[in-house]
Amino acid sequence: MKTADIFRFNGFRIIALTLTSIVSAAGFFWPFFSSSNKSSLIFWIATPLALLLLLALIGQAKLDAKSLALLGVLSALIAALRPLGAGAAGIEPMWFLLILGAYVFGPSFGFLLGVQSMLLSAFLTGGFGPWLPYQIFAAGWLGLLAGLTPKIKRIEIPLLVIVGLIASEIFGVLMDLQFWPWAIGPKTQLSYLPGAAIGENLNRFFSYHVASSMAWNVPRAIFTALLIALVGPGVLSALKRASRKANFVSEIKFI
Amino acid sequence: MAAIVAIALLVKFLKSDGPWSDSFYWALKLAFAVIIFRVFIGVIIGVPVPGHTLFTIPNIPLPDWMAGITLGGPVTWERVSSTVIESLNIASIIAIFGAATSLTNTRAVLRSMPPIFYEVGMVLVIATTLTPQLVGNLKRIRIAQKIRGISNSKFLSWRQIAMPLLEDSLARALDLAAAMDSRGYGYSRKRSKYRPQKFTFKDALLISTGFIFLAVSL
Amino acid sequence: MIKFQNVSLIYPTSQKTILDGLNFEIGEGEFVLLIGETGIGKSSVLRLINGLVPHHTGGILAGNVEVGGLSTRDVRPGELAELIGIVGQNPVNGFVTDIVEDELAFSMESLNLSNEVMRKRIEEVLDLLSLASIRDRKIATLSGGEQQRVAIAAAMVLHPKILVLDEPTSALDPVAAEEVLAILQRLVHDLGITVIIAEHRLERVIGYVDTVIEISADGNTRIGKPDEILKESEIAPPLVKLARALKLPKVSLSVRDLRKDTENIRNTGNEVAQRHEVLGRELIKLDSVSVHYGDKIALQKLDLSIRGGEIVALMGRNGAGKSSLIKSLLDVVEYKGTIKKHITKIGYIPQDANDLLYHQSVKNECDQTDKDHSLTVGTTYKLLNKLVPNIKQDIHPRDLSEGQRLALVLAIVLAPNPELLILDEPTRGLDYSAKELLIKELIARSEKGAAVLIATHDVELVAELASRIVILADGDLVADGPTMDVLLASPAFAPQVTKVMSPRKWLTVSDVLKAIE
Repeated sequence: MKTADIFRFNGFRIIALTLTSIVSAAGFFWPFFSSSNKSSLIFWIATPLALLLLLALIGQAKLDAKSLALLGVLSALIAALRPLGAGAAGIEPMWFLLILGAYVFGPSFGFLLGVQSMLLSAFLTGGFGPWLPYQIFAAGWLGLLAGLTPKIKRIEIPLLVIVGLIASEIFGVLMDLQFWPWAIGPKTQLSYLPGAAIGENLNRFFSYHVASSMAWNVPRAIFTALLIALVGPGVLSALKRASRKANFVSEIKFI
Repeated sequence: MAAIVAIALLVKFLKSDGPWSDSFYWALKLAFAVIIFRVFIGVIIGVPVPGHTLFTIPNIPLPDWMAGITLGGPVTWERVSSTVIESLNIASIIAIFGAATSLTNTRAVLRSMPPIFYEVGMVLVIATTLTPQLVGNLKRIRIAQKIRGISNSKFLSWRQIAMPLLEDSLARALDLAAAMDSRGYGYSRKRSKYRPQKFTFKDALLISTGFIFLAVSL
Repeated sequence: MIKFQNVSLIYPTSQKTILDGLNFEIGEGEFVLLIGETGIGKSSVLRLINGLVPHHTGGILAGNVEVGGLSTRDVRPGELAELIGIVGQNPVNGFVTDIVEDELAFSMESLNLSNEVMRKRIEEVLDLLSLASIRDRKIATLSGGEQQRVAIAAAMVLHPKILVLDEPTSALDPVAAEEVLAILQRLVHDLGITVIIAEHRLERVIGYVDTVIEISADGNTRIGKPDEILKESEIAPPLVKLARALKLPKVSLSVRDLRKDTENIRNTGNEVAQRHEVLGRELIKLDSVSVHYGDKIALQKLDLSIRGGEIVALMGRNGAGKSSLIKSLLDVVEYKGTIKKHITKIGYIPQDANDLLYHQSVKNECDQTDKDHSLTVGTTYKLLNKLVPNIKQDIHPRDLSEGQRLALVLAIVLAPNPELLILDEPTRGLDYSAKELLIKELIARSEKGAAVLIATHDVELVAELASRIVILADGDLVADGPTMDVLLASPAFAPQVTKVMSPRKWLTVSDVLKAIE
């Protein structure tokens, strides 16, 4: 007999995760494939629905008290970190803790941690808007990605720094994708052009992304990488210790 | 435009207490910011629309790899006004979200989530219970570390405060898990609710007006 | 009700056997006290009762733990929730929601009790524990005693027959501790609940309990009536130590009983000189210092002077201004008035010693201290070794026992030789041997000229350690004088030895022994 394991997506839920992620991904990438003006609004409804469905299915899985408590605590810390940069361009300390937490506790936990942290952050600040389900999925995917990082002890920190850089960039791309159709207005040279060829739109998006990167992505990537490099070892050690003390999958024997 | 004014009045009358009550004003500010931003972008890199020129910004050509975009050019009234009108759509949607959050009671939402979202809601409940405690801990740790001797480097001093906070929080999580197990969490799949939330007339009014405005702005 | 049959326990990640062949039986309606040095496994025993060990923590369990006829082999902790309520060392950490009433409902919701049942039980429990007036309050705003009562209420709401508490009074001031103990006693006597508590500070508790279980280092358990067990136990409150030192035939557990047996000594003993300190120069002077938080006045025009060589005990109810005083000395709060400091280094040990630590190993903590204060490398570790030898360098600070952690924190704070040392409630959760370590070290420091200011509720500590007592109430200074005078002036405040020996001026067991030489 063993004690409970940390939360993991099992077969059925992995399928659900994949499907809802595809819907949400469509919500991010539709400008390249659809020419309908209403797509934006369709996905503003579809994505949150997909999210709700996924959360409902997670609800059916038994979330053990240990996973629940760790999720609660870590998401509180991450959400508390989020406004610390005071909105300064890209200074977002939350990512480094999300990445490290997901790395230690696994991809499923990481996904859920990303989702809960974003959700909590919205709850705490009242920052609900059409962008929220996208942010939630994006944070979840990043947690998932960080959790999948191979565990090679000798190059752990450098590996995580790279993950941090990649994750920041991915988040940046996703957020830009999400803002792109409506934040800058339809008749500029950088705008999404409905009905245009994929190549043309890609070109425009790329320029838009480079412009926004200067302000947001690059600082975020650098800041996250720095935090992982400097504070990472200590934080990792604390998280791993907690994982040990939690006695996941520990032997229970009666003799 | 009319939608936004109507919503503003509604919010003023029905504003609830709690951390979200200001979100309408933040949402308004954000909506306004979006409009301004769009006008700015539209003016700088927009496709020129003929009409009355207000003033001209000098042309700054960008390198070729940036898709040959040119900055600057004449700023026309039509450009500005059309951008503003186009942006109202988005702005009103943002405003609606803000109003909705303003008028809802955080606690009520958290407590009355349908059972299907129980675990997810539970994590939020725990996290919101913890957040004020974290702040208290932070203050205490700061004092202790200050006397112990805080490092000069900004990053390292951050670590001095963050590490005890993290360790403390993780220890708490494990204590909490043990307490929850002892109290029977997860024992039964079914759960009852001490304070069942009833849908009031106010809630119904809220939701229907929200949908009406949403539909109108589409 | 509770049977431990030949219980031995090993945790999955360690080699050490935590418990070995434990055997005892507790009947229904008993009030049981579990004693033993820190690290001996008291918490493990408590957690074995409701099955947290090994179902939640993992572990290899030999023997049988039977509770109310059910063996923990067959049942998980959640299933025992209606039979056993358990309250951990830090009750705040076990709270899920932020409002009292919601917290009480949580346990019942998890067990799917109906709404009518929940409402009824909540009202009952609120009355039982006198919580009705604070039912809507946020738990974070309650006092320590109130929080402890809420934790007990949250357990009682499931109508358990057994209540288990880990150090329920260690973090409470004397008044709150009395309240909690009285409630527990009422639960036992009026409701027939079986209550089991683990405690270090026996003075307060010993009068209430029916049975004591002692777990000693060699793995033996002794169970019996309090006076039987304490007669020979290493761990004993001052009353018992006094009776043993005076070689009395029987050990009394109350001041009244011991007074009867020591009348002769009271009448014939000699005077004992109080500990005499050589006072050095003035180190800190507070002049008319006031602290406000908004409208609330925490400290009113306080005058205080501390000289080298003094050990000053700072006492008073919670909220009297002790922490504001300390904060103003540390310069972390705004104050009016002047504080003249003639020292360069202040050492501070906060209530939660963990706040000071931020490295992953004992070695790193020590090295950091050496670095911070430009000491020779190894100084801090050497000091640590002197205080408590054989602490491995690579242990994580949070894995240390209470006594070891105290030593580490003392080493960190004392290595730079501060002229003034401020401690906030250092004896919470410490067993008697760790307390002795603290006392010895602080006296040694004061003899070298340092001053010590110690905020505490622990009267026994004050009796052994302090030369001077300052008492605050509502922000005002109400007493400031030599220990003996202040303690004698207020019978409620007096340590056990003084209460027994009043009106003679003896504070500690050693004072009494000296008096009869």
